[in-house]
Amino acid sequence: MRAMTNAKRIAAAIALLALAASPLVIAQVGYSQRAKEIGTHLKCQCRGCDMSAGLCAHPGGSFSGPCDTAKAMLREVDQHLAKGETEQQIIDAFVAEYGPGVYMEPPKKGFGLVAWLMPVVYSIVGFAIVIFIVRKWAVRPPSAAPASPAAPSDAMERARAQADRETED
Amino acid sequence: MDVFGSFTLLLAFVCAVYAFIGGIAAIKTRHPLLVKSTRQAGIATCVLIFIATFAVEYLLFTDNFSQAYVVSHSNRDLSAFYKVAALWSGQEGSLLFWSFLLSVYIISVLIVYRNKNGELMPYVGVILAGVQIFFLTLNNFVENPFKTLAIVNANGVLEPFTRMDGNGLNPLLQYPEMVIHPPNLYSGYTGFTIPFAFALAALLARYPGEKWIHLTRKWTMVAWCFQSLGILLGAHWAYAVLGWGGYWGWDPVENASLLPWLTGTAFLHSVMMQEKRGMMKVWNVWLVFCTFLLCILGTFLTRSGVVSSVHAFANSHIGPWFVAFLGITLFVCFAAYVKNRDYLKSENMLDSMVSRESSFLFNNLLFLIACIAVLSGTLFPVFSEWFTNNRISVGAPFFNKIMIPIGLAILFLTGVGPLLAWRKTSADSLKRNFGWPLIVGLLGAVGAFFLGYRNGASLLCLFLCCFVFWTIVEEFYRGAKVIKARTGMSMMMSAHELSMRNTRRYGGYVVHFGMVLVFIGLAGAAFNSEAQKAMNIGDSMKLGPYTLVLQSADTKAEKNYTAQRMIVEVLKDNKQLMMLYPEKRQFQGTEQAAGTMVAIYSTLQDDLYVVYAGMDPEANVPVIHAFLNPLVKWIWLGGVWIVMGTLLALMPNRRAALGVATVPETSTSTVAQALTPGVTLREGHD
Repeated sequence: MRAMTNAKRIAAAIALLALAASPLVIAQVGYSQRAKEIGTHLKCQCRGCDMSAGLCAHPGGSFSGPCDTAKAMLREVDQHLAKGETEQQIIDAFVAEYGPGVYMEPPKKGFGLVAWLMPVVYSIVGFAIVIFIVRKWAVRPPSAAPASPAAPSDAMERARAQADRETED
Repeated sequence: MDVFGSFTLLLAFVCAVYAFIGGIAAIKTRHPLLVKSTRQAGIATCVLIFIATFAVEYLLFTDNFSQAYVVSHSNRDLSAFYKVAALWSGQEGSLLFWSFLLSVYIISVLIVYRNKNGELMPYVGVILAGVQIFFLTLNNFVENPFKTLAIVNANGVLEPFTRMDGNGLNPLLQYPEMVIHPPNLYSGYTGFTIPFAFALAALLARYPGEKWIHLTRKWTMVAWCFQSLGILLGAHWAYAVLGWGGYWGWDPVENASLLPWLTGTAFLHSVMMQEKRGMMKVWNVWLVFCTFLLCILGTFLTRSGVVSSVHAFANSHIGPWFVAFLGITLFVCFAAYVKNRDYLKSENMLDSMVSRESSFLFNNLLFLIACIAVLSGTLFPVFSEWFTNNRISVGAPFFNKIMIPIGLAILFLTGVGPLLAWRKTSADSLKRNFGWPLIVGLLGAVGAFFLGYRNGASLLCLFLCCFVFWTIVEEFYRGAKVIKARTGMSMMMSAHELSMRNTRRYGGYVVHFGMVLVFIGLAGAAFNSEAQKAMNIGDSMKLGPYTLVLQSADTKAEKNYTAQRMIVEVLKDNKQLMMLYPEKRQFQGTEQAAGTMVAIYSTLQDDLYVVYAGMDPEANVPVIHAFLNPLVKWIWLGGVWIVMGTLLALMPNRRAALGVATVPETSTSTVAQALTPGVTLREGHD
């Protein structure tokens, strides 16, 4: 019976989509360019896409360009702009209203900072490990030391390089 | 047919269990009959899965609307082409399709190697059967595709029920690429099972020699090729169908497909360290293990809906099964490693910091960092919910900021790595090898700057692309020159001969060239622009060098949908260039659904991407949304080269016959000839 409920759920989702789509309408712009720019830092809250309100082009709908949710958000941005708020204040206001799910990228404070620090930390750790390994492996056991420490002549070096090129991957 | 299908699936499960348990017994007893019978059970499992898959297709093609799966994913008017694709458009069918593709690989392996690698194959068979048991458990007991519809009648008794028509296929999936993208990606995901099985089997069996690493590498390349193609086709599908003007949105499902690709790519490089120098055996085995685990994790992310995504049609309750399977696999890998780790003893020794070896180490580091960055970013919303009870979303801007530097560093190594000699590279050879590439790179960047591509990261990317491109040209040139001197063939023929003699090395360079093209395309993303306008017939709008004029609109009725079509004339420099026809389709089915058909005018310079965005409600005129995306076409061209390069690398090396020279000999070839008269010499490896 689960298949039935699944089928129903999918049918309901399609019906919802169709409902939103059926008149094949979108409103004309109705928001400022500045709102759109700030909107690129706010996630569209339609729950149907992972796009920002500013760049929302909600896949699969009958529209391109911002969906109704995104447009409402952009108009809200314009209201904040009219009050003279800065970009950061507006983003903060949206986070207060919708929760941290409105971020397009994690905030560089609180737990969000972890997301930003993680790649930096494991890059540093990774490089440290590789450099450590290279140095460790570079220490050759005495028996493996080159038999003739004399510097190879330039011609020899070239011949060796050519041989390497021609025989190795 | 549904009962038949159900039965074959169940029988496949039984056969897989026999192949698994019998296989373990065969390894213990080494009884030849038992070995043979478990191998045949493995083959029977695959055949039964094929039959079950065809049974689902039969139900789809015969419009059997008593079947829940057919009702949910098909309808009478759906064309035959998409009825094939309906198999993988839903959860149950997708998982069966996974089993199907896995079986294609497994049956090939079991048949091709039936008389080879005698000590290794029983282990491989057991591991493959184990993976099959997991997916067959899902197919049989969790997400069975053969469920019939039933309703409770007036007497309160369940009775079968047949619908008149189905709900139809999701319009997003009614696009030719959707018929080829999932099979490719799934072939990638499933394909990584084979190298995993060989690696784990070699470890468990303590298989002597290096044969297993060659087998593992070859099968990894096959899977890698499908995975690359699947990812690029997916990107193209997103670009051409979703109508948002982009091709990569760092959606969790996209990320999931990238993860095994990254570790697989790392493995294809570091495996050379093992083959040439006997180094990094432990690392390689774990890379193969991780690649397989990431494939399962990727399927889990795609199928379980644990991270919300546009692929929401794949949501279900199969999460715990995948977590359990991941846990068991990890445990087995770890146990095998701990028990037999001395088998992987390597002779790790480096002669110099500036060598091919160390460049591979950094290459692997970067791929691993990229993989962990994508993985941790994808799972961060889940982590943040665990730790803070608030779900912090992570979107495309985050991934772009993190991945651009990593991608550029990898691109840099693509150019540098192949020029470094094994063991040690002298300062002199560095100068000789890097001089021209650097000059070409700088020229490219300066040229791009004057062409208007003025963005720091993009310029750096284009510089590196030209740099890497020239290193590849030099590699071909140098090798071809040697062959030309020996054989007197033309330069082009020499380059061809060179590639055929060491397919793996030069195939690799062709893949690198494909990646250069992809990166050129990615560099263009910084210059995307767009415009949107409600237009009356005859109105125009400008975007970059193009002027779009709405000429007219019409409606066309097809069997499965009706479309509203805008007819847009494109002008460049006031000259008519072409007509574009963006559409909006209203699909039939019991539920109405709509889809967008994007019209794209694509050139090497830019893509003009036009979407009919619907009717403006107030003015009641059509809204046209246009994007100008520079250099996108290079990405798809790069994809073609990547596939060609991989195919070249998979071909066996041509044996080079010495002594066919018609021109004066160089000293080296004369010596070689004198030493080996009439003997063929096999260059390179494999």
